[in-house]
Amino acid sequence: MSEKELLEEILENLQQMNEKLDSFIGKKETAPDQSKKGNIAESLDIMTLLSLPDHLRTTATTLFEIGPATAEEVSKVTLKERAVESNYLNQLVRMEHVEKYREGRKVYFRINEK
Amino acid sequence: MTFALAVHSSKGGTGKTSIAVNLAAAYALDGKNVCLLDVDIRGPSLCSIFKPDTYFWINDMLSGDREIKDTIHDVSERFGTKGKFFVGYSNPDINQIRELARKDRSWQSNALKNIIKGKKELSGKNIDVIIFDTSPGVEYESINAVAASDIVLIVHNSSIACHNCTDQLIKGIYSPLNKQCAIVDNMCHPNVLGPSEEKRFGINVIAQIPCMCNVATRNNEILSLTDPDHVFSKAICSMKNKIEDFYM
Ligand SMILES: Nc1ncnc2c1ncn2[C@@H]1O[C@H](COP(=O)(O)OP(=O)(O)OP(=O)(O)O)[C@@H](O)[C@H]1O
Ligand SMILES: [Mg+2]
Repeated sequence: MSEKELLEEILENLQQMNEKLDSFIGKKETAPDQSKKGNIAESLDIMTLLSLPDHLRTTATTLFEIGPATAEEVSKVTLKERAVESNYLNQLVRMEHVEKYREGRKVYFRINEK
Repeated sequence: MTFALAVHSSKGGTGKTSIAVNLAAAYALDGKNVCLLDVDIRGPSLCSIFKPDTYFWINDMLSGDREIKDTIHDVSERFGTKGKFFVGYSNPDINQIRELARKDRSWQSNALKNIIKGKKELSGKNIDVIIFDTSPGVEYESINAVAASDIVLIVHNSSIACHNCTDQLIKGIYSPLNKQCAIVDNMCHPNVLGPSEEKRFGINVIAQIPCMCNVATRNNEILSLTDPDHVFSKAICSMKNKIEDFYM
């Protein structure tokens, strides 16, 4: 395993821990960019997308345009760091606008289908 | 590269459909492959203008039941255009309109995915220009089309309400979606408008089309095709050239 892959694995694990912690503390962490109300998943329709803060809107718009993608692929379009995009994508996952799934060794994100 | 253009306005009846249809015809005459799509699902117009025989509608593409290629119709031979001219119709049947008006947000989220997918498919079919004829204001179908477009052509009339609502659309929809915009003043009264502006809200005003009764009385024709020397047709042609020069 290359150093880069190892680091990505660690980052991925950290993010998963982060998510678990979030659910432990009862989603008390309501950052200003968490427009999610209650526990009902919100479809990411265009009106909801428009109400997202700039950085998350850019990430979500990119995901609409390129379809299911890795954080790396999204970051190539938005010209932001992979780790930054990964963070935004995971925020969108926590808001239930985006789904995360694994294919082989790669983690993919796609707009949530309800 | 396929270039998608949404013809939109804050208020109704500003001339979006007239401009979308004539602009599509002007591109096709010029040898571009064009696809004109009616996304004014609540108040369809293109069916009344083109009177097609069709089984599949833009509605079916939005719902994901049909691929876009099954819902568009080639009218190039009928109008003798140099480039391909396709039209996609939205279903004027009231039951269909009622059905779509009930759709929820997750359906609309998928509709946006399907429009973006349709755009990619058309791009694979060598379509140069896609023109969306939208419904006015903040309707899902219109804003989805705006989101899938490269440029928004804002059709404006001289009312204060239209001016104020456009300002809101720019701030709350077009800018947050990073869309390029161009303004067309339609049905202008030169003596009311005063000196013509080059920019409004920081956006280029690319055409000012006067109010002409015979545009309304001849609305069963596509003037760009039947009367290329008409003031309206010439304005459309100049608009087409400006879009090509500045935005494409
Ligand atoms: N420059 C013009 N001068 C006079 N009449 C015009 C002009 N442009 C359009 N019209 C007429 O105005 C009417 C409304 O035009 P049109 O249907 O294109 O507007 P629209 O914006 O598509 O309306 P809607 O918001 O209902 O979709 C039509 O009868 C059309 O022929
Ligand atoms: Mg119309």
